[in-house]
Amino acid sequence: MRNPFVMDCGEFHVNYKQDMAIWKISRVRMRVFILLAIFAVFPMFVSDYIIGLATLCGIAAIGAIGLNILTGFTGQISIGVGAFLGVGGYTSAILTAKVGLSFWIAMPTAGIVTAIVGGLFGLPSLRLKGLYLAIATLAAQVIILFVISRWDALTGGTAGMVLSRPELGSFVFYSERSYYYLMFVVLIITAIFTLNLFRSRVGRAFIAVRDRDVAAEVMGIDLFKYKVLAFIVSSFFVGIAGALLGHYTMVVSPELYSITVSIEYLAIILVGGLGSVFGSIYGAVFITLLPVVLRSGVEMLSGVFPDLSAVLIGMKEVVFGLVIILFLIYEPQGLAKIWKNIKDYFKLWPFSY
Amino acid sequence: MGILEIKDATLRFGGVVALDHVSYEVQEGEIFSLIGPNGAGKTSMLNCISGLYKPSSGSIHFKGEDITRYKPHKRASLGIARAFQNIELFPHLSVLDNLMLGRHVRMKTGLLAGGFYWGKAQREEIEHRKKVEQVIDFLEIEDIRNTPVGTLSYGLQKRVETGRALALEPEILLLDEPMAGMNSEEKEDMARYIIDIHEEMQTTIILIEHDMGVVMDLSDHIAVLDFGKLIGYGTPEEIQNNPKVIEAYLGEENAV
Repeated sequence: MRNPFVMDCGEFHVNYKQDMAIWKISRVRMRVFILLAIFAVFPMFVSDYIIGLATLCGIAAIGAIGLNILTGFTGQISIGVGAFLGVGGYTSAILTAKVGLSFWIAMPTAGIVTAIVGGLFGLPSLRLKGLYLAIATLAAQVIILFVISRWDALTGGTAGMVLSRPELGSFVFYSERSYYYLMFVVLIITAIFTLNLFRSRVGRAFIAVRDRDVAAEVMGIDLFKYKVLAFIVSSFFVGIAGALLGHYTMVVSPELYSITVSIEYLAIILVGGLGSVFGSIYGAVFITLLPVVLRSGVEMLSGVFPDLSAVLIGMKEVVFGLVIILFLIYEPQGLAKIWKNIKDYFKLWPFSY
Repeated sequence: MGILEIKDATLRFGGVVALDHVSYEVQEGEIFSLIGPNGAGKTSMLNCISGLYKPSSGSIHFKGEDITRYKPHKRASLGIARAFQNIELFPHLSVLDNLMLGRHVRMKTGLLAGGFYWGKAQREEIEHRKKVEQVIDFLEIEDIRNTPVGTLSYGLQKRVETGRALALEPEILLLDEPMAGMNSEEKEDMARYIIDIHEEMQTTIILIEHDMGVVMDLSDHIAVLDFGKLIGYGTPEEIQNNPKVIEAYLGEENAV
């Protein structure tokens, strides 16, 4: 029984279950719940435009968590994410529009199909490392896009396909707000699954493969199996993100899944933090909102300098590249690390020594 | 019959013969040392046992089973664990996670069970955490259990690496120069741990070490390699009096 007159001097874990929790301290757990609550109610108070941006951030975050499982946690570079998003989007489009399945079956199926395709392109990873693997995944990007844009009968070729919003009974997820909640649930499941994964056996094996593959092998980890497994899990979530994105924008076409998208996703996990679930989310928000913020900044200034927008129109890419370079130089571990540094600073504040 | 039998193992890299028709047996429950001058093929021998190299000819039997063609991870699941000469820990993971990885082959949780972390998966994690805590207790590294391994001192990293191999509950423990680069106090500690491991867990230990004092004190049997050839095998006394071994280490008497 806790003595009400005695002040706690810390929180102590008395069994392993407490010590192995994701959020070990009740104050931190509280903070997570409060944050979740804020994100759950904020669409009630903002415009559709902002909710739409939040939805795009969230979908990018799901894909980025997927890519981070592969690149950040398992150390296998992939620049085929764009195409894998496409596989997810097209699978869901074909299943709902042509086969007539419901979205609730099509979305998981899109994940599974993408996982299979990803696993297939992950097969060379046993022999190829680093840049060589990156080139192999680039091949995946090119091949998949080629198939998508040429297989007219199935995919509608370069014209693309039109999708519908998901339905649940008589309810259609047509409003921005409803689709935001759909994304929100999927994002939470993805994040919790990934957090759990990396505190249990298979996730640890992934990290071991990244850090020292020779040692991992000698400790009993089948390199081939785990590398391909990483491709499979990663592509599953990327496929889910692709399906969600397709049904959100209600259109899929080859140019939406170009190599630029792949690079953008790599930028997300670099800026957010390699090997960090929350980093993927921060990075997704950052990279998705960066062009929006830049554009509105330019618009604000154009009242004072009317010619500015003409000059700065090409600056978006420059700023984008600059941000990535600055992150690589000053904080290679990304936003997740910056956030951790801030927390660590305030842990001891104001007496840092 | 020994727990590990090396039969006529030869290992070639192009024209270089790293191991030349080496045969010996390791008895169950003994401390077995491999010694020899630098470049004699000691680490190559361990690599053949743990599966990183495949011998060009000859065979390796573990408990009577031919494991010559088995991959390293298969051998680990049979109970062959290893600590490396140059530390091969997972630097970004904590000591705890490194040791939990040592238990990889003893655990079962798959991808989905791990991701959902329900009931069974959680119980298994906790059960194996207890085993890992025993190893931590044994090696007296309680205070660093949550520290990332990359930030630890060299001596501690060596100890953690031994711990990771121990966490596997191995039948054979391969230690590649566990005392290299240590001061005499750390060496003494490590020697005591090796003796304790041997006595408390009855683990068979294969040891590579350059410190002859340690080797002679600890070993039940010693094999001596020189330029890939086995030039001596026997108890420490026999090795000390073996003229071929003395020659390999000290050079011929009339050469000076």
